[in-house]
Amino acid sequence: MHTAVTSDSRPASAAGSSESPRKRRWTGRKMGASAGKHIVLIALSAMFGLPLLWMVLTSFKSAAQALTLPVVWWPHPILASNYPQLFAALPFFRFFLNTFVYAAVTIVGVCISSSLVAYGFSRLRWPGRDAVFYVMLMTLILPFVCTLIPLFVMYKRFGWIGTYLPLEVPTFFGSSVFSTFLLRQFFMTIPQSLSDAARIDGASEFYIYRRIILPLAKPAMATVILFQFIYCWNDYLGPLIYISNQSSYPLSLGLALIIGDYSTNWAWVMAGATAATAPIVILFFLTQRTFIQGIALTGTKG
Amino acid sequence: MRLRHWRQTRLGLLFVGPWIIGFLVFFLYPFFATFYYSFSRFTGIGNPVFTGLANYSELIHDAVFRTALFNTFYYTIIEVPLSTVAALGLALLLNMKVRGQAIYRTLFYIPSIVPVVASSLIFVWIFQPSFGLVNSLLSDIGVEGPTWFFSITWSKPTFILLGLWGLGQPMVIYLAALQGVPKEMYEVAALEGAGPLQRLRMVTVPMISPVILFNMILSLVLSIQYFTQAQVIESPPGSPGTSTMFYVTYYYQQAFTDLHLGYASAMAFMLFILVLIITVLLLRSSSRWVYYEND
Repeated sequence: MHTAVTSDSRPASAAGSSESPRKRRWTGRKMGASAGKHIVLIALSAMFGLPLLWMVLTSFKSAAQALTLPVVWWPHPILASNYPQLFAALPFFRFFLNTFVYAAVTIVGVCISSSLVAYGFSRLRWPGRDAVFYVMLMTLILPFVCTLIPLFVMYKRFGWIGTYLPLEVPTFFGSSVFSTFLLRQFFMTIPQSLSDAARIDGASEFYIYRRIILPLAKPAMATVILFQFIYCWNDYLGPLIYISNQSSYPLSLGLALIIGDYSTNWAWVMAGATAATAPIVILFFLTQRTFIQGIALTGTKG
Repeated sequence: MRLRHWRQTRLGLLFVGPWIIGFLVFFLYPFFATFYYSFSRFTGIGNPVFTGLANYSELIHDAVFRTALFNTFYYTIIEVPLSTVAALGLALLLNMKVRGQAIYRTLFYIPSIVPVVASSLIFVWIFQPSFGLVNSLLSDIGVEGPTWFFSITWSKPTFILLGLWGLGQPMVIYLAALQGVPKEMYEVAALEGAGPLQRLRMVTVPMISPVILFNMILSLVLSIQYFTQAQVIESPPGSPGTSTMFYVTYYYQQAFTDLHLGYASAMAFMLFILVLIITVLLLRSSSRWVYYEND
């Protein structure tokens, strides 16, 4: 298990006690309070963890065993064959590949455009900057349906329907407001004196962006890449609207297919859900720090 | 002086340029076009035919539209406060000094990164009426469970449960905010004789109130556009009866199944007005309960 979910492991106690550490004696009352906390936390853990545990357990059962009453907790025999069978029945590798390509292209788009835009909103001073920035933030609350139909008509005219272009091209034009916002917050923490020194040396603004700020912003860029990847992995709505051919399906649409086609075979449905969830959970454990810092960066300093 | 001013502006616009182009092409133009389409009859082929306010007057008399509005309000009014309180409560729990806290934090957070289609499938299975885990456990204690996603009364509450399962994002944001509250404030409050509940009400909540506002607006805007989970789970969409016909579910049906693009555009514009009103009301009320520190 990794060490800490939060970057800051400072033991701040909101409603807790404020005794000095020297006098920490395990009196009966304190032990009771501690046990009480653990009971609450463990009960909640069960509620949060059980659905995932049940998903994994079901995925290793036979179709018949999944429908046994009273429920069988532990699959016996442990059946791994659901996975290859499901992957043979549906072009799952294709779905994974489509998702990866979608993610890769948009990650490039977001990294280029959001960093440039964030730079303009944080490292440069120009009249109207903050007003324009607020307009950008306001677009976050606009419901997506308010622009959807004209966009669809426009993309149809371009011949983009059925391809990922409607989901990819906008990312090259700063469509990921979240990434821009996150990068701006990070850029603002870099001392202005660094830029000033470079300017005195005659560096161009693009040089400062490319050679000084971007290298310093690697952790923030890592967060942006991670979140964009997860966004694409998760995205159901975008592909639902623009992708119609099954061979172009991303994972999300492919996964939704199973429940339509094999809704009686719950072991298969759960094998699909597990296959879609496991990579993200593994990624989370590998990148925990980047993850949590990113959320905190966008969430608290708004 | 003038020249420098202009050069700075040009430089700024150059960097922000990609977004400005994107904003005009992918945002401002389609937004106004939606407004324009909303006064027309349009199937996507040929040109929109101007029909004045016909779509809007039809909307007012559309019973399904009213149902969709009701379902969306139902979901939003319960989900937003409930998830705010739950996320905040969990964050408080996770902020306590307890052995193994990192494990609890991880466990509570993970459901929120499960892909939305996967979590929908998991919940359909767990709440499956005859063989699902929940009803099976309920029958063990002699309770006959409802049919959950397939019951007109229970479908929306089950979606709310699904939403609550994935509240890790706001929870982590609250946790980060809690850790940013200066410790001395609690010490002072304790010296003044404030108990744990008073400290929560007088110190913790005011100190993190801007974060609560930010999260509430976000979760409100998301709830009002609730769609994906319902679309994955319910077949046909909106069933059983019309109990899960949410606003965007109906919009999607009008726009992409029935090709009533003008009518759907009117719905989209109404949603915009709705979100605007609710956000403004929330921001207005915020002056009474949100505390901004003067830096």
